[in-house]
Amino acid sequence: MIDVLLVARTHLVTALRERVTLFWFLIFPVFLLVLLSLIFGQIGQEGEITFTVTLVDFDRGSEGPFAGVIAGVFENLAEPDTAGGDPLFNLIRPDAADDLNAFLDAELVALRRGRRAAVVAIPAGYGRTIERRLFASSEDAEGEVELALYASEGNASSDMAIEVIDQVLAGVDREILTGAGLFDSSESVPHVTARIGSPEGEPRYVDFLLPGIVLMGFFTNGLFGIPGAILFSREQRVLQRYWVTPLSVPRYLAGLSIGHLTLCAFQFALLYLIGRLALGASVTFGGYGPALLLVLAAVTFMAFGFLIASLAKTGNAGMAVANILNMPMMFLSGLFFSVTGLPGVLRVLFYVNPVSYLADGLRASVGVEAGVFPMSLVIGVPLAWIALSSAVTAWRLRWDVGR
Amino acid sequence: MAESILMRVSELVKHYGEVRAVDGVSFDVPDAAVFTLLGPNGAGKTTTLEILEGIRDPDSGEIEIFGRRLRRVDRATKQRMGVLLQEGNFEPYLKVREVIRLFASFFESSRSVDEILDRIALADKAGTYVKNLSGGQRQRLAIGAALVNDPELVFLDEPTTGLDPQARRNVWSVVSDLRSTGVAIVMTTHYMEEAEALSDHVCIMDHGKLIAEGSPRELSATLGQETIIEFNADGATEEDLAPLDTRCKAVRAEGDLVTVETEDLVATMESLLAWSKRQKTALSDMAVRQPNLEDVFLALTGRRLRE
Amino acid sequence: MNAFLALVRSETATFVRDKMAVFFTFLFPLIFILIFGFLMGDVDSPSATLGLYGAVTIDEASLRSVIDESGVNRTRSFGSEGELEDAVAGRSVDFGLVWNGRALEFLYHPNRIQENHAFEQLALGIADAFNLRRQGLSPILPIRTVHVGSEASTRWLNQMVPGIIAFSILSSGLFAISGHLTGMKQRKTLDRLIVTPMQPVAFLAAIAVVRLAVVYVSTLLTILISIAVFDLTFSIDWLRLTVLVLCSTLGMMGLGTVIALVVRRPSSAGNVANILAMIMMFLSGIYFPIEFMPPFLRALSRGLPLTYMADAMRFATGVSDMSVVRFWAIALSLLGLAVVLFPILAGYVVRPQRT
Repeated sequence: MIDVLLVARTHLVTALRERVTLFWFLIFPVFLLVLLSLIFGQIGQEGEITFTVTLVDFDRGSEGPFAGVIAGVFENLAEPDTAGGDPLFNLIRPDAADDLNAFLDAELVALRRGRRAAVVAIPAGYGRTIERRLFASSEDAEGEVELALYASEGNASSDMAIEVIDQVLAGVDREILTGAGLFDSSESVPHVTARIGSPEGEPRYVDFLLPGIVLMGFFTNGLFGIPGAILFSREQRVLQRYWVTPLSVPRYLAGLSIGHLTLCAFQFALLYLIGRLALGASVTFGGYGPALLLVLAAVTFMAFGFLIASLAKTGNAGMAVANILNMPMMFLSGLFFSVTGLPGVLRVLFYVNPVSYLADGLRASVGVEAGVFPMSLVIGVPLAWIALSSAVTAWRLRWDVGR
Repeated sequence: MAESILMRVSELVKHYGEVRAVDGVSFDVPDAAVFTLLGPNGAGKTTTLEILEGIRDPDSGEIEIFGRRLRRVDRATKQRMGVLLQEGNFEPYLKVREVIRLFASFFESSRSVDEILDRIALADKAGTYVKNLSGGQRQRLAIGAALVNDPELVFLDEPTTGLDPQARRNVWSVVSDLRSTGVAIVMTTHYMEEAEALSDHVCIMDHGKLIAEGSPRELSATLGQETIIEFNADGATEEDLAPLDTRCKAVRAEGDLVTVETEDLVATMESLLAWSKRQKTALSDMAVRQPNLEDVFLALTGRRLRE
Repeated sequence: MNAFLALVRSETATFVRDKMAVFFTFLFPLIFILIFGFLMGDVDSPSATLGLYGAVTIDEASLRSVIDESGVNRTRSFGSEGELEDAVAGRSVDFGLVWNGRALEFLYHPNRIQENHAFEQLALGIADAFNLRRQGLSPILPIRTVHVGSEASTRWLNQMVPGIIAFSILSSGLFAISGHLTGMKQRKTLDRLIVTPMQPVAFLAAIAVVRLAVVYVSTLLTILISIAVFDLTFSIDWLRLTVLVLCSTLGMMGLGTVIALVVRRPSSAGNVANILAMIMMFLSGIYFPIEFMPPFLRALSRGLPLTYMADAMRFATGVSDMSVVRFWAIALSLLGLAVVLFPILAGYVVRPQRT
């Protein structure tokens, strides 16, 4: 028994001592977890971003009750709020002496180049147009001018700025209509936002992400670690030194597997601790369901690693295969992005991929979302892969370079 | 003095396609002695050893080891053996101590790690990573791994190939110490000096066959009462050397190196001196010595051990 | 001259025969784009299906007409709130709307984090318009939204492809030195060359020339296939593209030199280069817009060469705009990196490898 344990210890210790392995198996998943949590945690946090917006008011100095109302609203929003926080807009205005048309053209160029989030151009006669629309009984479209909202579609902050400005202008709409006695805000129906299906209240993105990153960690470990260990040890004739002793191949494999699963446990522990302590995750992996699925995942990916080791002839070939499989299997599994709307071939790959079922099942079992696949598939497909890999490994894996 | 035979090999054969790497080799390995397979590269020494170590299957032949007849060496036998492979590595990120401990765990009984480290003189490197060891230190570590179970029979495949003279000397002293503790050692080498210095019994192999065996002294004695004279004769041609033939057994010239085999040392020396005076050629770098295993091999095959 | 050509020949042969290098240079970016293209195909114009329950008790006509005029593509009605919730959970509708007697309650799936944002915007629009419509009003302010960029920039994939190309150039340039050259040093192949009259300059030039050719072909291939498979739009300025490819490849070879010099063990240089490339890939705005990152990451992103390479590549392929001055500044800085480090690299080549 001690020989098996020492083989396991050897695998574990060498993985941790090699700086490269340490990075890819431990540091990189943590990096990804932290990065994605930070980034996707920001969506919907527009309130904390300040947008650089240009306002060109061609209607300034005109008369009427509504001249300058828009400009006034924007200027308000460019002031820091009462709590001393950053204002919503960093407003760019032309100087009094500037030629407004030239200024607008220059600002549009700046917008195109990403230096502005949006440009608002209030045309001359806009105040009049508002008046006419409010008080004229019929649509007097003649002389009606439109406010131009310039955006750079596809630029993230521009898209967000437009949403914010749309809301601001909608607010202005209501103000004007209320002020004109046409709109009774007390008659307004409020709206609320609710999430369904999560008993602990609002789940955070990190709760959704954590099971996925854990699986990714197990996956890279199995895909790269196992073929690496076996193929390079065989090539370097480290294994040969073992075979001239009483150590048998099954015992070596048992040790390797235990070492590998221990490494997976380390990965899980590290990611879990960081997720909970540093990123505020509330998901726990307690209970038989999650534990079983985690073990199943670790074993499935380990078997996959053996499969690669038995099909590749050299260490470099094995790493090449692992690299080729790595990305498609991870991304075509719903681990990071939902995979609705895939065309034919890719859809097949999704259904064949054991990661798809494990990701879905694990998320369901920790209560982060209702699973799509039935439990029979979640357990069955990975088991089928384990069986297939074991069969191929038993048939093809060579332990000596030449007999 | 009855020698107990620890291992008996009969008619071992291994071929790869047309090539007969091991062609009907038979020998007995006695207890508490150093038994050496000597031969040039490609003679089949390593293949023979690998069959005996259990990592290669023979095509035919029998092995009797520790009193048991086997076709292939099994795990029970491996418990009592130690093996140093010709080529091999350890996990680069393991420490020396960890390597010994790992290998010790493969056997039912083993010496303590510290004892082994002392034996191979790596006690002060116990905490060093394998990847930071020199070539000689790695070889000693490999020997340590072969001795960890206190074996009765040890295989050393080319133990000093590629080592510098100091490292080679270190290994030689480990081997002699080992022998003095009563362990049987089966060794392969293509270094004649090594075979002569360490062995009790030598088998000379060439092209898969055993062509001679005996103690180093016995083998050298097959060349009779010969003496070997070697000298450097700058630019002497075959014709120039012809007159020397008469008083000696053989004269060979390889480039500038002339080798003279003779059974009558005095007469040959006289004719040599006369020849040198006539030719006005100096006999530079001259050496007079007893025949060694290299000369035996040369006499048997017409080739040198080292090409 | 002869030596240089012979070296170009041997470098080409070495590259072509290294299947992994060929795969990573040509196929890797393509696989990336294919997978992402198919996965995120509908991100530009997402469809939204709204499930409804209980709309009858409030001004249904107004609500319906407002919903029709919003960006919602389809609506489905449900007989009970439970059924609606199941539909949201099962993703057969994207979000739900329930009139609970007091407020319009919009229901969302908790895990569709990226998509929910768009649905929430739709919900907001519906609620606002509904309140106006109930009182017989419509928005008073005439507004039109104008998109100022190129048509190409509206498509997410169109924006991403130049970034992937930039990354591919980064890898090729980086690994030409920290990987390929360092490998030769480690295996002592380099030592064997430098004891001949071969000039290190010729050798480095040969490596650079082969890399440039490979990178340029790969870039063209990637662009062609993106257009063919996904119908993307590029309006390529060939001068700018060529200059950018040239300067970035050389500049990244310069960066690879820095790594090779700092990481003294040649075998580790390739690994370090790999890690740096991976980190740069995530932080340079190719996949996640920089604006979404917290301030310290945004600052870090602005220090990475890949950020600028990707920007410049988008400009050169006509996807986004930048000032011409900025483009040339980026190109020349990258070239400058190469020029400054070239003599140092030549020294590295000539220094014999000690264990």
